[in-house]
Amino acid sequence: MIRLDGLTVQMGDFLLEDISFEVPSGGYGLVIGPSGSGKTTLLEAVAGHVAPVSGRVHLHGEDVSSLAPERRGVGFVYQNYHLFPHLDVQENIRYGLERGALGPSSQRERVRELAALLGIEALLGRSIHGLSGGETQRVALARALAPRPTILLLDEPFSAVDPATRHLLRRELRAIHTHEKVTTLQVTHDFDEALRLGDVVAVLSEGRIAQLGRPDEVFRYPNSAFVAGFIGTGTVLRGEVTRREPAESDTPFAAWFESGPLRLEVVAEREGPAHAVLRPEDLHLSREPTPGSARNRFAAVVSRVERTGPVSYIHLDAGRPLTAAVTSASAEELGLHVGATVVVTVKATAIHLV
Amino acid sequence: MSAKDSLPHGAPSRRRTPTSWARVAPAALGALLVLFIVGPLLRLLLLATPESLGQALQDQELQASIALTLATATAATLLGALMGVPLAYLLARRSFRGRRLVEAVVELPVVIPHPVAGIALLLFLGRHSAVGGAFARIGVEFVSHVPGIVAGMLFVSVPILVSGAREAFRGVDPRLERVARTLGDSPAVAFRRVTLPLAGRGILAASVLAWARSVSEFGAIVILTYNPQVASVLIYDRFTTLGLPAAVPAALLLLAVALAVFTVVRMLQPAERR
Repeated sequence: MIRLDGLTVQMGDFLLEDISFEVPSGGYGLVIGPSGSGKTTLLEAVAGHVAPVSGRVHLHGEDVSSLAPERRGVGFVYQNYHLFPHLDVQENIRYGLERGALGPSSQRERVRELAALLGIEALLGRSIHGLSGGETQRVALARALAPRPTILLLDEPFSAVDPATRHLLRRELRAIHTHEKVTTLQVTHDFDEALRLGDVVAVLSEGRIAQLGRPDEVFRYPNSAFVAGFIGTGTVLRGEVTRREPAESDTPFAAWFESGPLRLEVVAEREGPAHAVLRPEDLHLSREPTPGSARNRFAAVVSRVERTGPVSYIHLDAGRPLTAAVTSASAEELGLHVGATVVVTVKATAIHLV
Repeated sequence: MSAKDSLPHGAPSRRRTPTSWARVAPAALGALLVLFIVGPLLRLLLLATPESLGQALQDQELQASIALTLATATAATLLGALMGVPLAYLLARRSFRGRRLVEAVVELPVVIPHPVAGIALLLFLGRHSAVGGAFARIGVEFVSHVPGIVAGMLFVSVPILVSGAREAFRGVDPRLERVARTLGDSPAVAFRRVTLPLAGRGILAASVLAWARSVSEFGAIVILTYNPQVASVLIYDRFTTLGLPAAVPAALLLLAVALAVFTVVRMLQPAERR
């Protein structure tokens, strides 16, 4: 278990402020934020490399705030891996075992076990110079896992590998996480990673946590325009909320959301300026007005078609730019080419106000 | 001049290819400078006849003097490394009040003319000074004694050693030390297992250079300790009392030692730059 209580860290001019969250034992936590939002510093504070100004770090229920890094039982993999350049692959992996309790044969066995788990048996005798990005990553991971840490800290572990390797490594990492039963905290700038890997995600913005929750919750219900925009939930529109039945005072209430020429029916909790998040998969496209009760129905012109395999993203101009996701098959069927006029339908309950 | 003419560099179309003399001039000037260094040394080496070398090798006074030079330079380098390498680590890794001042002080001997350094050391370490007096009471005398030679050498070679070792430490990514810490090492163990092996070559190269600087020192030593004579003082002494021919064999031998050291340093350096 990793628990941070009001952690505040100063690094030069940079301040990481009042960070509180918890990754349960055996869980997989993600910290996501744009570059320069203090993600690496946060991990270094958890590992004990950086002393916090205030706040506490608890690992497995124990307050480790004043413990030296070597006594915290954490494994750390930096973004650029930082393998020891004066040691070969095997020596790198064995580094954390050499001064431990294991005898030489148990050490060799542990190295072989990890090499098998990560598929790098063939690399053991090699020099670390000339390893590919993916190989380096696996060696760094094996080195961090060798002394059986109870906590694993990963700093952008997939940023230096190609997309194909990234997919493979992600799957492997999840498997390793289960196999080694290690509580993991990873930082990334890629929300997709959070959705695939994380049990809990903290979105960082300017040194503070902007939102905390399960990745799918954060994705569906971003709490601010920043979070919605950053994690790519969908189109974020700025506008004004007004009550449809001024006489009623229920919460939530039926309301209008107006942004330029767009006037959408929404379910709101308060009036006034707001941001509406429209997820691409919630925009329904057709060539003719469809029958039904949904009243948010308006015309838009296709401005760009972005094919990404089975799903196509249709960029629309409806007085405001919008993006819709449709299967590539129905994009074909609907004849969605640039300049085509389509009817957009979206349910009031699918529009998320922040 | 139109706006188009003032395009930033990198706009290739309007660039004229350099005329041939513009390409040749830097090479020619450079060649002149190289010749200026190689010429005198070659001229000296041409005097290395079997007789002159035999003469040098039989000259017991010269041999004793070279042995003294090598021994004192080694002592000065070891002393400098003992105090300078930890300081270099601090300068490379820690930020503390007055760090820039300490850095400047350590570099200071570079700009001080060596006889001036010798006079300053003489005043500081002379038997009638507080420091010199204290050392004299425990039996260490500097002026006109071997420790004076070591003091002069240490003073002039410290900048080379400390700045070289500092750069070697700076070349080691602090994150490597942090990784070692999370793998269970205390700061001292991480230093021994990661930092020192990685910075070692650079520190060694800096030490060899500092040692070579000590071997070649004359100005500070000649004021502190004329006798016993280190090689540079001996050569100067023979030149002024007996003339050029008497100085040449000793000069040749010292040049050979210098070239040998230089070769060792060159062999250490390229790997360091990678």
